[in-house]
Amino acid sequence: MRTVKKKKYRGTAKSGPLLLIALPGILYLLINNYIPMFGIFLAFKDYDFVKGIFKSDWCGFKNFKYLFSQDAFTITRNTILYNLAFIVLGTVFAIFIAILMCELGKKARVKFFQSSLLLPNLLSWVVIGFIGFAFLNSDTGFINNTLIKFFGGEPVAWYTTSKYWPWILILVYLWKNAGYSSIIYMASISGIDKSIYEAAQIDGATKIKQIRHITLPMIKPTVVIMTLMAVGRIFFSDFGLFYQVPMNSGALYNVTQTIDTYVYHGLMELNDVGMSAAAGLYQSLIGFILVVTANAIVRKVDKDNALF
Amino acid sequence: MRLKRVLAACLVTSMIFGLTACGKSGTSDKADSSTTKGDNKSYDKIVYSYATFNNIPEASVLDTVEEAINEITREKIGVEVELLPIAIADYTSNVALGLQGGDQIDCFQTLGNFNVAVSSNMAYDLTSLMDTCAPETKELLGENFLAACKKDGKQYAIPTYKPYALTPMIIYRQDIADELSIDMNTVKSIYDLTPVLEQVKEAYPNMTPLIPCQTGDSGMGRTIAQVDYLTDDLFSPKGVLIGDDMNVTDLYSTEEFSKLCDLTRSWYNDGLIMKDAATTTSTATELMSSGNSFCYIASYSYPTEDTAASLEGQCGNVDLGAVQIGDAYLATDSICAVSWMVSSTSKKPEAALKFLNLTFTDKDIINLLIYGIEGRDYVKVDNDYVAYPEGQSAATVPYTAQLSCGTLGNFFLMYPMVGTNLESLAWEEEQNVKAKTSPAMGFLFDSSSVKTEYTAVSNVINQYLPGLSCGSVDPATALPEFINKLNAAGYDKILAAKQTQLDEWIKNNK
Repeated sequence: MRTVKKKKYRGTAKSGPLLLIALPGILYLLINNYIPMFGIFLAFKDYDFVKGIFKSDWCGFKNFKYLFSQDAFTITRNTILYNLAFIVLGTVFAIFIAILMCELGKKARVKFFQSSLLLPNLLSWVVIGFIGFAFLNSDTGFINNTLIKFFGGEPVAWYTTSKYWPWILILVYLWKNAGYSSIIYMASISGIDKSIYEAAQIDGATKIKQIRHITLPMIKPTVVIMTLMAVGRIFFSDFGLFYQVPMNSGALYNVTQTIDTYVYHGLMELNDVGMSAAAGLYQSLIGFILVVTANAIVRKVDKDNALF
Repeated sequence: MRLKRVLAACLVTSMIFGLTACGKSGTSDKADSSTTKGDNKSYDKIVYSYATFNNIPEASVLDTVEEAINEITREKIGVEVELLPIAIADYTSNVALGLQGGDQIDCFQTLGNFNVAVSSNMAYDLTSLMDTCAPETKELLGENFLAACKKDGKQYAIPTYKPYALTPMIIYRQDIADELSIDMNTVKSIYDLTPVLEQVKEAYPNMTPLIPCQTGDSGMGRTIAQVDYLTDDLFSPKGVLIGDDMNVTDLYSTEEFSKLCDLTRSWYNDGLIMKDAATTTSTATELMSSGNSFCYIASYSYPTEDTAASLEGQCGNVDLGAVQIGDAYLATDSICAVSWMVSSTSKKPEAALKFLNLTFTDKDIINLLIYGIEGRDYVKVDNDYVAYPEGQSAATVPYTAQLSCGTLGNFFLMYPMVGTNLESLAWEEEQNVKAKTSPAMGFLFDSSSVKTEYTAVSNVINQYLPGLSCGSVDPATALPEFINKLNAAGYDKILAAKQTQLDEWIKNNK
């Protein structure tokens, strides 16, 4: 992000060393993301082990058909709505946390809060799934056995009642990710020139006014870039969140099934290379189109903040 | 701005193929040369890949076992073998990726994926080789069992020879049954279980009377008599045969199924079955070990006393009993589920099949594969049995694949572990012959014509079956909803395709 912001480094001579620094990352992208890309054509092949990758028969769009079966609406709706909620709420929470942190100054307590907010991000989804299970399970879970008992009320069979899950998933997502994404905003807030705040103080601006009229406008470019990147992945879902956290409970599929988990379930049975490639291509293509579109809109509205 | 552009381009494209990017599998690239020279004589070299439930041995240890096996195979069949053990969890995908990547794997096993392996052309057609390369195995297994691994009249695999017949039983805490003076022998079917569970619940309110056998499987499906799943399985039935009726039936519309759903629902409402049975990831043995569960329903291939005795160690050394609540039933999938194939990419299919033949007929070979080297990895006890060397266990000996015992070659040639009842082995072998057999034995369903529907239907089944099986959803509303969704997903197309293929099969096999 930093290289993007410092506009004074233009020209090849200046960017040469920077490119060198970026080389390992670029090489990684090349090997990990670009080279496998040539497997794109597998999505259009009826894969056969004897004939191999190149000689298998072409089969047109047959591999894509299953993505548009009766569940297509549910899974697409879930994927997009959850991702929208994550983008909006995730950004709001991350900025909120970042502003609070910056107001705390540079003391030890900031480090403490920052670390504890970051901690969930370091846990794997499997672990988080089980933490959730410790809260929610019907027989021994904390909520049913302590909270609900204490306040009086009927125990809830969490893993079979789908209406609570949109909230649970969003909550878990925020708990895990808000701390991490707030770091990016914190970095961008601390890059704001302090003298602007001083000037505002002298003019009698309150803290709230400073945040509203200085901080938020100043971090807008970062917000735009982060959102654009998130929009590009709107057709991808966090597999761990949707598979591990609801414990893959069938009764919840209506609200927890996303494209990724659907493809996983389907292909566990069929083990079909062509169909998984088709799913990947479909998601990537839509994601690509969305990024380009979103960027075009941003460029129209505010040229400086567009990604490209 | 160029940097910004490069960065942006990288970021955008980096998300392309997140899903399809698959690295090369963990199968190490071994032995490209398919022939090696030794003792001035050249031998065909093959790679034998098997799934292990134990630790993967170190390369140097593996070499010693390989060498011991090769001493036999060089002389008997003029073949050298390289062993390629893969952890069970990765096995199927690693073999598939290995074959795609052009690694040499000549022999591999199916773990419930016979059909997929055949339809994606991973398996070599062994039909013409059976008589010349594996006559002993052919005789040992007999036409009936071999037919289960045939497709379109071609022999694609050899089924592992083991106890096939699975008998549904209840595994319960003997000590608690004794204490409450419950006579478990009066329990003859799943319906007789309710009063027992109620009695346990009353005496021990904090105990879970019934736990699932595994995630989402209360065991109720196992007790429906004489069901041939026609190449699907217990966990995802899509069109089945019941009894001698040759019409493909929808299991979920049967009266038996809805009765069982009502039964588990009543258990759920009365707190007799674990509330999270549909989702818990704990296994039955783990839950039993916690000491807070009374019983579970599962299917095993051993006599009841043996099953209970052998499970005690895994269930925290509690006193267990077992009672049979149904009869074993043999169908194609119970036999072809675990079978051995020669890969379609093999350059030496004859040599590979000859070696497979030895794993079914040669006592030394199969025991080397399972137990490793005598003295180092295991010791013989009383000539008939084996045990781990003094102070060692399955986790500490250099080589063992003991837990793979029912999946490699011929189970009945393996030395029994100390504590096994020899009479049970005889009983098991007899069960293979005596158990009731499906009229469609040998029929395999090819799902490739209904792939799209298959994915959708599997998803619907995953969504509803565990809840119905464990009683956590109300069958009065969920069952009709389930059936509606199945039909919308193209369930009838699968049933029709099954019926067509079955009719064809009957015509050709009459």
